[in-house]
Amino acid sequence: MSNYIERFTAGERVLHWIVTASFFTLLLSGLGLFSRLFNGYFTLFGGGGNAIMVHKIAGIVFFFSSLYMFLKHRRDVSTFDEDDRRWIEQRGGYLSREEAHFNIGKYNPGQKLFAIFIAAATLILGVTGLFIWAPTLFPRWIVQLSLMIHGLMFVGTVMFVVVHVYLATIGNPGTIEAMLYGDVRSMWAKRHHPKWYKEASGENP
Amino acid sequence: MADAIKAENRKGFLVDTSRCIGCRSCQVACKQWNKMAADKTVEQGSYENPRDLTPALYNRIRFLEVGEEPGGVNWLFLNERCMHCGEAGCMKVCPSPGALYRTKEGVVAYNKEKCISCKYCVSACPFNVPRYDSDDKVSKCHLCLDRLSGGMPPACAKACPTGTLKFGKRSDLIADAQATGKQLYGVNDLGGLGVVYALEGPPERYGLPATPHIPLSIFLWKDVIKPLGILGFWGSIGAMLLHYVTIGPKKIDEAPEKEERHE
Repeated sequence: MSNYIERFTAGERVLHWIVTASFFTLLLSGLGLFSRLFNGYFTLFGGGGNAIMVHKIAGIVFFFSSLYMFLKHRRDVSTFDEDDRRWIEQRGGYLSREEAHFNIGKYNPGQKLFAIFIAAATLILGVTGLFIWAPTLFPRWIVQLSLMIHGLMFVGTVMFVVVHVYLATIGNPGTIEAMLYGDVRSMWAKRHHPKWYKEASGENP
Repeated sequence: MADAIKAENRKGFLVDTSRCIGCRSCQVACKQWNKMAADKTVEQGSYENPRDLTPALYNRIRFLEVGEEPGGVNWLFLNERCMHCGEAGCMKVCPSPGALYRTKEGVVAYNKEKCISCKYCVSACPFNVPRYDSDDKVSKCHLCLDRLSGGMPPACAKACPTGTLKFGKRSDLIADAQATGKQLYGVNDLGGLGVVYALEGPPERYGLPATPHIPLSIFLWKDVIKPLGILGFWGSIGAMLLHYVTIGPKKIDEAPEKEERHE
């Protein structure tokens, strides 16, 4: 048996990092717009006017790359089976030190829900962002509502991303390799995604 | 109140609509003092002209024809402009410090050089006042700040021939008007408006909101989502760290035979 198994292709990895880069560009350029408390972040872009311009460009990149990423993986992330139900019931074993094992496919339900949330947030942030982009072209109530929803979805997205980064790095050692080199250790795959490992390797773990 | 104004310094208008004859001297004087070009207008069957505030029109007279008892029509005139709210929605949302600022007289003034063209003020204004000029910068009544600093009243008040637009110390104007028994609009709303009206009839008749307030979604954005969001951000980071040191990561470097137990 090989020690490594491919989890993400080079194309999938590049796409993920395009989404990541545009996300953090949006975060940094948008912080000053979210609140005057974060006015200092404007200086990263040479002033608020430039930050708005960067925010708009990064917004277009994020909108399309994020939605494309979801559509590419939509089959894997939108179906839930019995094993997923068991994972959800036990919160994936994350709330206990006890060893927990689940017969999980390529993605666990947490990852699936994260993917669906980010896709929905991308759509909502994109549409509300469009109204905020040209507020004088739309009725005032639509723009007012958009400002609120854009802020709300921003907060929600950042909080989910904090969890995502934690679980993909120090929370589950070995996971980040899937997004860096594409290959994960077989041991990791057997432990976290046994059903997927069996299908992908043709091996019975 | 985020931007506290000293009541004894606060200047403002008292607009007594019963005295207004709709001559629009205020509009013209404002244009002249602030050196703004005329707006091209269209004849639409009304003396009201222009029909809305523009980036080059800081105040105007709203003409309202209100049907009264059978056959009768009441012609109402309302001077419309930035209200210089005590709690200003525009200042609440402006992300660029110094673009919109409060003077010691309580004026909501602006500095176009600091405006970053986000147009949040357009959405946050309770009275739909701010406009954006051809350079995409905020534009509205600034109470003739330059005249004010020289001890002169704003051009509109100077030009008003009927005493409709009274300018002065806000508390004195309100006290005088209340002494004559007039019903006033804007004394306490939004931290007190810088433009207080003595109206003939309910405010809705003039197209003014009965209880002016910062739009609900703007309030929720700035006063609820913003603080809770910052809390949520640090909370989620704290929760992850707590998880790491209490429950800990899911390690994979276990004895292989344990791994064999799957399925």
